[in-house]
Amino acid sequence: MGMYRNTFFLYLQETLTMNTIDENDIGVVFRKTLGRYTVHTHGREIECSLSSLFHKQLIFPTPHPASLRHTVQDVRESHHVDPVAVGDRVRYVATGEARGAIVEVLPRDSKFSRPAPVPGQRVFEQVIVANADLILPVFAVANPTPKWGLLDRYLVSAEAAQLPVLIVINKLDLAWKNPGFDEEIEIYCRIGYPVLLVSAVTGEGMQELKQALQGKQSVLVGKSGVGKTSLLNAIQPGLGQRVKAVSNGELGKGRHATTHLEMFELDFGGALMDTPGIREFGLWDIMADELAYLFPEMAAYVGQCRFGVSCRHDREPGCAIRKAVMAEAISPYRYQSYMNLRREL
Amino acid sequence: MKARLATFGDFRCARCHVIVPSTHLISGVNNRNHCPYCLWSCHLDLYAAGDRLSACKASMKPIGLTMKNGRNKYQREARGELMLIHQCTECRALSINRIAADDDAGTVLAVFRESLVLRHLTDALCQENGIVMLKTKDTKIVYTQLYGHGSEVSIITNT
Repeated sequence: MGMYRNTFFLYLQETLTMNTIDENDIGVVFRKTLGRYTVHTHGREIECSLSSLFHKQLIFPTPHPASLRHTVQDVRESHHVDPVAVGDRVRYVATGEARGAIVEVLPRDSKFSRPAPVPGQRVFEQVIVANADLILPVFAVANPTPKWGLLDRYLVSAEAAQLPVLIVINKLDLAWKNPGFDEEIEIYCRIGYPVLLVSAVTGEGMQELKQALQGKQSVLVGKSGVGKTSLLNAIQPGLGQRVKAVSNGELGKGRHATTHLEMFELDFGGALMDTPGIREFGLWDIMADELAYLFPEMAAYVGQCRFGVSCRHDREPGCAIRKAVMAEAISPYRYQSYMNLRREL
Repeated sequence: MKARLATFGDFRCARCHVIVPSTHLISGVNNRNHCPYCLWSCHLDLYAAGDRLSACKASMKPIGLTMKNGRNKYQREARGELMLIHQCTECRALSINRIAADDDAGTVLAVFRESLVLRHLTDALCQENGIVMLKTKDTKIVYTQLYGHGSEVSIITNT
C-alpha cells in the first residue's frame, strides 16, 4: 500500500512541477547501475530513478487548434532497454534530499548504440553512451589476443554515428607475445585511423593519450581484459577503480571487473566514460546497402561497379570494390569483415 | 535454399548446380573446396587453405593433377597424395587441393588426360608456382591412386 502511495505522490509531484521546470533541474548522467542514475548538476550529485513516463509512450491525435480535448490514441512500448544512457542531459524532478526522478532526456548530439543482447523476438536498442565526442576502442597487443573483427564493428558504428575514433592499443609491454601485431595494426593506419600504442603498466604513450582526451567527452570500449579500467586508473591516479587480471588460461580471456557504466571528470579537462567489457557488438540501425560507405577505404569505390549502387560487392561481375581488394588497395581482412557484417544485416 | 558459397557449409555448385554436402563422413576431407561431380572450384582462399580471404570469387577450373610429397623421406619416389590443380578463370591464380573420397574418378581421369594434351599452356605457370604436374609416365600412379591398381592401358592410346 505504501509503495502505491509513494508512486502516486511521485506522479502528482511530476505533474505539478512539469510546467515549472527551470535550468536548475537539468543535469548530466554520470553513473548508471540497475535502475539508478547518478546525475551531476551544479556541483551536486543527485541519485535519480526513472519516471514512469518513460515506460510507455502515449500517442495523441494531431491537436486541432479548435479542439481542447486530448484523448490518448495509442500506447506504445519503449523500444529501448533503457531510455537513459550515461552522458545524457536530463531533466529531473527533486523528490527529496539529493534524490530525484528523471522526467525527460534532452536531445542527444550523438549516441553510440548496439542491439541489446536480450533474448526474444523483439530487438531493442541499447545506447551505450550519449553525447560522446570521441570513441576509444581499446585492444590489447596480447592477453587477450586482439579480435580485429570486433574493432571493425566499433569503427563501423562510430562512422554511422559520425563520431571520431582513436584506436588505443594497450599492453605494449607484451608485444613480444604477438609478433604479427605490427602488420595487423598497419592496415588501420593505412586507412587513416589514428592509432595510439600505450601501456598502462609502463606508462608508455600515456601523455599522448591525455592530450587526445583533453576537453572531450570520450568513451572507452572494448572486450573484457584489454585494460580499459587500468588505463583510466593510469590517466587519473586516485580513482582506484577495481581491476582484475586476465584468466591464466591459454586464451588469456578477460574477467568482468567493471559491471556498470560510469563517467569520470578528468583533472586536465574533459570526461572519460568507462564501460563493462563487451564480447558481442552488433550493428544498430545500419542498412546493408549503406555498409560500404561506412568503410572509409571502400566508400570511394561505391557506385563505380557495373551494377552501380545496387552492387552487393559479393560475386557481382565488374565489382569495383573486389577489384580494389585484388589490386591490394583494400585489405582482404577488411573486405572479409565487410562481408561478415553484411551477412548479419 | 540460400546458397552460401563463402562458408564451410553445404553449397550449390556454381557450374553444375548440384547441391554438395560438406560433411566429413561423405567427403573424407575437413574442408570441401570443389564439386565432386565436375571438380570445379571457387577462388575463395588467398594466403592459406580455408582463410576465405580472396575477393576474386571466380570459378576455378581443374587443369591437372599433382602429388603432394609424402612425409617418408626414405621412399624411392616422392609420392604422397593425389592432388587436383585448379586455375582461376579470372585472375589465373593456381591452387592445389586434396581429392575427396567421393570425387568422380572418371572425371579426375578425364582432367588428367586433358592436362597431358594441353600441358604446354600451363606448364610454365605451374613451374613458377613450384607445382609439378603429373606427366604421361605417371599414368600408373594415377590409376593406382584412383582404382587401387595400375592399368596396363596407356592413356595416350585412349586419347
